[in-house]
Amino acid sequence: MAALTEAEAAPIVRRSHLARQTLVFSGLLVLFAVAFVVSLCVGRFSVPAIRALELIWLGATDPWRELTTIEERIVLLVRAPRVVLAALAGAGLALSGAALQGVFRNPLVSPDILGISQGAAFGGALGIMLGIWGFPLIAMVFISGMAAVILVGLISRINGRSETITVILSGLVVSSMFSAVVSLLQFVADPNTSLPAIVYWLMGSFATATWERTLIAAPGLIIGGVLLWMLRFRLNILSLDEAEAQSLGARTNRERWLVFGLIAVIVGSQVAVSGIIGWIGIVIPHASRLLVGHDHRALLPASVVLGAGFMVIIDTLARTATAAEIPLGVITALVGAPIFAMLLRNHYRERNGS
Amino acid sequence: MVSLTRFAARGLLAAALSGLLAHGAAAEEIVFKDQENREVKLPKSAERIVSIVIPMASTVIALDGGTKKLVGMNPTAKSAVLEGILSKIFPETKDIPSDVTAPNFVPNIEALTATNPDLVIQWGGRGNDIVAPITNAGLNAMLILYGTEQLTRDYMTMTSRAIGKPERIKELVEWRDRVQKDIEAKAKTIPQEKKPTTLYIARALTEIATTGTKGSYNAWYMELVGGRNASAELNGTVTINKEQIAQWDPEIIFLNAFEARLNVDWVYNDPILSLTKAARNKRVYKMPLGGYRWDPPNQESPLAWMWTANLTQPDVFKYDLRAEMKTAYKTLYNYDITDADIDGILWIKEQGGSANYAQFKAK
Repeated sequence: MAALTEAEAAPIVRRSHLARQTLVFSGLLVLFAVAFVVSLCVGRFSVPAIRALELIWLGATDPWRELTTIEERIVLLVRAPRVVLAALAGAGLALSGAALQGVFRNPLVSPDILGISQGAAFGGALGIMLGIWGFPLIAMVFISGMAAVILVGLISRINGRSETITVILSGLVVSSMFSAVVSLLQFVADPNTSLPAIVYWLMGSFATATWERTLIAAPGLIIGGVLLWMLRFRLNILSLDEAEAQSLGARTNRERWLVFGLIAVIVGSQVAVSGIIGWIGIVIPHASRLLVGHDHRALLPASVVLGAGFMVIIDTLARTATAAEIPLGVITALVGAPIFAMLLRNHYRERNGS
Repeated sequence: MVSLTRFAARGLLAAALSGLLAHGAAAEEIVFKDQENREVKLPKSAERIVSIVIPMASTVIALDGGTKKLVGMNPTAKSAVLEGILSKIFPETKDIPSDVTAPNFVPNIEALTATNPDLVIQWGGRGNDIVAPITNAGLNAMLILYGTEQLTRDYMTMTSRAIGKPERIKELVEWRDRVQKDIEAKAKTIPQEKKPTTLYIARALTEIATTGTKGSYNAWYMELVGGRNASAELNGTVTINKEQIAQWDPEIIFLNAFEARLNVDWVYNDPILSLTKAARNKRVYKMPLGGYRWDPPNQESPLAWMWTANLTQPDVFKYDLRAEMKTAYKTLYNYDITDADIDGILWIKEQGGSANYAQFKAK
């Protein structure tokens, strides 16, 4: 029995790798599709599943039809935008987390690290306190999130370039500055109205989702996501050692800030409509990495699909488990943390075993 | 050990003080138990009162019949005063300091001490951290509890004794008692199936929050007047979604008076809420803002009950609310309320077109 030569073995390895990736991706897509459809069919208002499916079909085929009955409006005006928004937000956060962990070559960073979330939280808290709501509030949150990233950029830029470590530290500085101001705003907020609203908003929720809000957030999330996907080769290079990346012709500083800018747009759009949602940006990229490996060409799409599916499931729990809405931050941490711990243990046990 | 010595020292000091004052003011000394069962001892009736509790600021004004004794209040109470009619009745209220506390009831001890209060009204049941600074500064704190009509009457009575006007509370409590008994007697005849489901929306603009029955004053008076709390299954005040409101499908919706920019259009312009029974029958109302917001317990609560009763069971209750308001404002604030004032308090302009609301218009 002659052993396979290396040249013969490579295509087989590649083929089995491809088969595995295909299997993983179809599994993830099925999971997402099931989560998406099921969450359109369940809710506090009882609509029979068959009727809900029929309504979804009608809504998809004839979107401009006038909706008169309460069932139609519940499924197509309350649940549909909420599920779509949750999917987009989950996808955006997971994608941002995956990209950032690559750029920083650090598995612990999440999209919060750039100060966007805290900056946006400041805008949101201030807006709620001033009695601003609706579109102006969304704009305010987005702008203050962007301002925080720009501030991080300015602080970390020393002698015309910024090291990853100074970016992380500047992010911490800006975050803690903004979170201090948020605490101050909470301290002076009206305990009957604005304080509970701020606290609830800080814990993240899709409860206020409408098609308008979804459409406001969608461009940022989708365009930012697509552009990040187009940078997937660049991300592979940026995740290498600095000198190695530069020797491969990457202008690391500029490209890194391009990635940060896109992430700021994605996270800013998400926070503006649904508050701060933790954990997704760190748990999902790790889970995806365990499933498909470190190559950003596979990691980014896997994070997108898994993030979208996970977020939809979490949000469905949040709105259906009890009559009261459960804040998303609570469930993402309660569900995400144990799963994450389990995945990590399995991963390292296998690695140590082999 | 430390607390013991401090206790002993304070005891000695108190003994020395009472010895000094023994021949003068002892006869006037006021001693009572507050709602956390602490003994409150005032050498004489309190002349300078700070209310950290929000609705109690306007209650102190009502109990005193003026603003002289209120020397400090919560910033949120002040905004209610400035938005409502009290700033018109008592223009000097705008000069009463509100820097004595943060809105979240954490006192600013220096600002509080600077007002030189004889008595500080603070919430009980929210931990010692908001009380200890007051007592450590050597000030008298009176702790009160939120929730039921009985607690409200008790702390109002306590306050009126503390300010040396025990006779004043009698007519106010009698009024509460009379109106409550009258409503109860009439509501008794209402069969269960004729009681509409009512929903009180505690917050609307940033997130939607409503309240369960247990421990909720709003649920208590909605049921008192012959309604059924649509959100009875909840526990406390929590965030809900519109789908849940559609599922409850309340027959009447009451909107809070806390959010200045909230009005009934919020319901009528919403694709889901506009299909509820309440919206289709035009039975959506924003709670009035008089001497204080009518949602929580306060000195004007009987007016709030009558307003709610007339709207919830229009066939059973036919209170002449405008006449009742004229009497009440005369008694509470010694103020002759005008028709324009009443229209403003009841939001006649904003919701005059709602079902059963014509009864509240000036004849």
